[in-house]
Amino acid sequence: MKDVETRPRRYEWIVILAILLASLPLILGFSLLMLSSFSREMVTNLDLSSFHFTLENWINVFQGKLATTGGIRTNILKITFNTLVVALGVSGVVTFISALAGYSLSRIDFRGRKHMMVLLLILHAFPGVALIVGVYLLYRLTFPQNPDVIRLYSFFYVILARAALEIPMSVWLMKGFFDTIPWEFEWSGIIDGASRIKVWWKIMLPLIKPGILAVALFAFLAGWQDIIYVRTFLIDQTLATFIEANIEAEYSHMPLIAAAGTLYLLPTIIFFLTAQQILLQGYSGGIKG
Amino acid sequence: MVKIILKEITKKFGDFTALNNINLKIDDREFMALLGPSGSGKSTLLYTIAGIYRPTSGRIYFDDRDVTEVPPKDRNVGLVFQNWALYPHMKVFENIAFPLELRKVPRQEIEKKVREVAKMLHIENLLDRYPWQLSGGQQQRVAIARALVKEPDVLLLDEPLSNLDALLRLEVRAELKRLQKELGITAVYVTHDQAEALAMADRIAVIKEGKILQVGTPDEVYYRPKYRFVGGFLGNPPMNFVEAEVENGHLKVYESKIPVPAQYRELIEKLGIKEVLLGFRPHDAEVIKGIGEGLIGEVYSFEPLGREQIVTASIGGTFVKVFAPEGEHFTFGEKVTVKIREDRIVLFDKKTERALEFLEE
Amino acid sequence: MNKTSREKFAALSFFLSPMILMVVLFYLVPLFMTIYISFTRMRNWNVEKYITEFVGVYNYQRLFYMFQHDPTFKAVILTTVVFVGITLIINVFGGLALALATFFISEKPASTFRLLWLLPRMSPIAVYSLVWYYFFHGSEIGTLNSILMKLGIISQPIPWGQIVPWGAWSIIIFVNGLVGVSFGMIVFTSALNQIPKELVIAARVDGASAWEISRKILIPLMKWHFLYVLTWQFLSLLTTYPHIFLLVQWDLVNRDYGTTLALYVFNTAFGRGEQDQGLAAAAAVILSIMGIIGGYVTLKVLQFEKMMKRPRGDF
Repeated sequence: MKDVETRPRRYEWIVILAILLASLPLILGFSLLMLSSFSREMVTNLDLSSFHFTLENWINVFQGKLATTGGIRTNILKITFNTLVVALGVSGVVTFISALAGYSLSRIDFRGRKHMMVLLLILHAFPGVALIVGVYLLYRLTFPQNPDVIRLYSFFYVILARAALEIPMSVWLMKGFFDTIPWEFEWSGIIDGASRIKVWWKIMLPLIKPGILAVALFAFLAGWQDIIYVRTFLIDQTLATFIEANIEAEYSHMPLIAAAGTLYLLPTIIFFLTAQQILLQGYSGGIKG
Repeated sequence: MVKIILKEITKKFGDFTALNNINLKIDDREFMALLGPSGSGKSTLLYTIAGIYRPTSGRIYFDDRDVTEVPPKDRNVGLVFQNWALYPHMKVFENIAFPLELRKVPRQEIEKKVREVAKMLHIENLLDRYPWQLSGGQQQRVAIARALVKEPDVLLLDEPLSNLDALLRLEVRAELKRLQKELGITAVYVTHDQAEALAMADRIAVIKEGKILQVGTPDEVYYRPKYRFVGGFLGNPPMNFVEAEVENGHLKVYESKIPVPAQYRELIEKLGIKEVLLGFRPHDAEVIKGIGEGLIGEVYSFEPLGREQIVTASIGGTFVKVFAPEGEHFTFGEKVTVKIREDRIVLFDKKTERALEFLEE
Repeated sequence: MNKTSREKFAALSFFLSPMILMVVLFYLVPLFMTIYISFTRMRNWNVEKYITEFVGVYNYQRLFYMFQHDPTFKAVILTTVVFVGITLIINVFGGLALALATFFISEKPASTFRLLWLLPRMSPIAVYSLVWYYFFHGSEIGTLNSILMKLGIISQPIPWGQIVPWGAWSIIIFVNGLVGVSFGMIVFTSALNQIPKELVIAARVDGASAWEISRKILIPLMKWHFLYVLTWQFLSLLTTYPHIFLLVQWDLVNRDYGTTLALYVFNTAFGRGEQDQGLAAAAAVILSIMGIIGGYVTLKVLQFEKMMKRPRGDF
């Protein structure tokens, strides 16, 4: 809805200016961080004279040189890869499960359906911190004895545990997408002899591709941005725990952390540039904060 | 090719009764139209025949087979939807082939059958396009092809023409009727457009609020409506109704009097009814300038339509529409006499709004 | 069971069992485990030793005692109340203001701004914390400090987060407030988009200003959404902690006055130093009870159930 035509133009600039002013800390904070990653010293003090362009921070990050003294080397590619594995894992699990459950909640009438949907809403609002204590105990109780699979198991577990957190809202979101598909598509398939599973797979899934993409994207971001679950369950480091652990690096190395942070921010920025519509529309159903 | 028998079908959605004790027999190879306003339950009835809805009570038979509990896929029906429901991610060929694939028909035979049906509907050159690349009329043909490809016993159509523009609708209407007769398939056609029903159907079932009011050939339904509703729903403009009192062999309408039509004399006597509704179609009357024998009123408005014009006359405050030949000039408020063809008059009981001859049914 | 209902059952199991498995494994079982732990002496995750050591309601008694006497825990409770209260107001009205403001400007800048305000929610939490870590940093590299020093308002850098209580509170409210605003913004924007534009245009023709249109037409039509954002955001704020976790961890804000109850639970169970899962679990249980009651009331108040349409067809 836009009523630009009926409204005086000059007010628009006042409003834009006002929002811009309100957004200033946000813009400032993020751009100074990114800018610092290309500078020899932090420019967060807004003193542009301290900005000296360099790629050193980025080179050091990729080489894993965290301190000028001492030979600690971190394999940042491995860490990035770990983060990616968790994010993709969460995205895959969430998308798969919500595509299945969302369909049945939208399309199949069964006893307990309403209760299940209410339960999902309550679970969504449920304090995650209350669960994590129990989730950790379950983790400890199921921890494998074989040391070879421990690390693998920790990946497996963190993906499932983190995905579980996203499931209630994603199922609701997915159900909403299925709701928008006219019933005639479903009926047409049924009359032609398809089973519900076949209707889901052959007709409905292709029709809600945008919805699947949206859910997958949000779940990916959830897995990508997470710090609590990875630091609690994952044995390997991700970018989040890497930054957490290295913030207290020496003063002079702050730009290096800024570079790591900017690297970590990259997918978010990419989604910002490529998937704006999905983000703006999809978020309306499934956020918590 | 089956005949369909619906026996005491009732369908409830919660507290809402969508279908109320429906009894209907649709003959083999018959083209039956289910006609009614939106929300009347006509689509629900169609989907109940298809098996999408299961009746709350009552039975459905295809020939002698009781299919009430049979799932949709085993009923061998073809269904064409109002929005056509073509799968947008499949090409036309795949759309038409889909029902056959689900039946695990061998690839070669699918190919052959799809081409056959495509040829019949003149869409053989569209087979490798996507639905969104087609015009409305073409999409509609694809939808019909998809419904026909599995050689169904019954073809069910849910307002298949309502998404087409007016001109195309007339064209497809004629073609669809011919196709149905050529294939000799039993067809049930849901529509809210009375002209469509009159033009295409062998018989029409008029439905209102989940009940069938009347079943009959287009002529029967049009000229001998059982209910005021049926008369008022069919025809454009619909039937006129004016209140009349029976007074020793005459009908008194406001200040005018006309004799009771011959076909009703005995009946009125027998029923001893005093208050009736007089119904007549706009083309079954003429408007004569000045005061004469008939219903006397004044011109309220007139609308030239090219070949003819519609004159709206006010008879004591009740408006009636009558066709008049072109070229005749009327002025607002002019006194006129509406002279009705006696044999075409239908009288309804004022209380029940039923036609007198069906009052005792 | 006849044939159709058997088929239906098979289909339902196919569609629902993965979700049900997840819900059981990661919601129901952990919930009972948390409740269970709250009745044990579990500490330092010494599962083998403490898992069977029951202490009854001892942990709850300790919580109650701390609530009355422990200054740290009192600070946490007070922080939680202030944090939830103020952030909620900022979130709801900030979101409303943003939605309305972007409603009255052209589509292009409007969606750019909306996207910008999604940034806090979409950024990796570590990066987001990093941004504010530098912004509120106690030394002269802190953006806020350097601005104020340049303006001559302060002469020395100030460790804002260590000023208790309001310094620490302001930072966590600000940081979390920015994340939460987008929720209200998105909900209100979609609500605004559903309002028939004829209403707005008609009011314009009658000479109403943007302010009058907002107050007399738009806001009254968004009552339900307002309530929805208010209650839902309340629940979220009560239980959220990831966005302030690192600020406390990195000592940007004071530990006592930067910690809300949810974060307290997490740090007591998983934090540095002495861990006390029994106590954490007891606090978590209390938080959960508040959450469930709040959630249930929300559902009833908002009449969510009415929005659930029944699927069609009997096949």
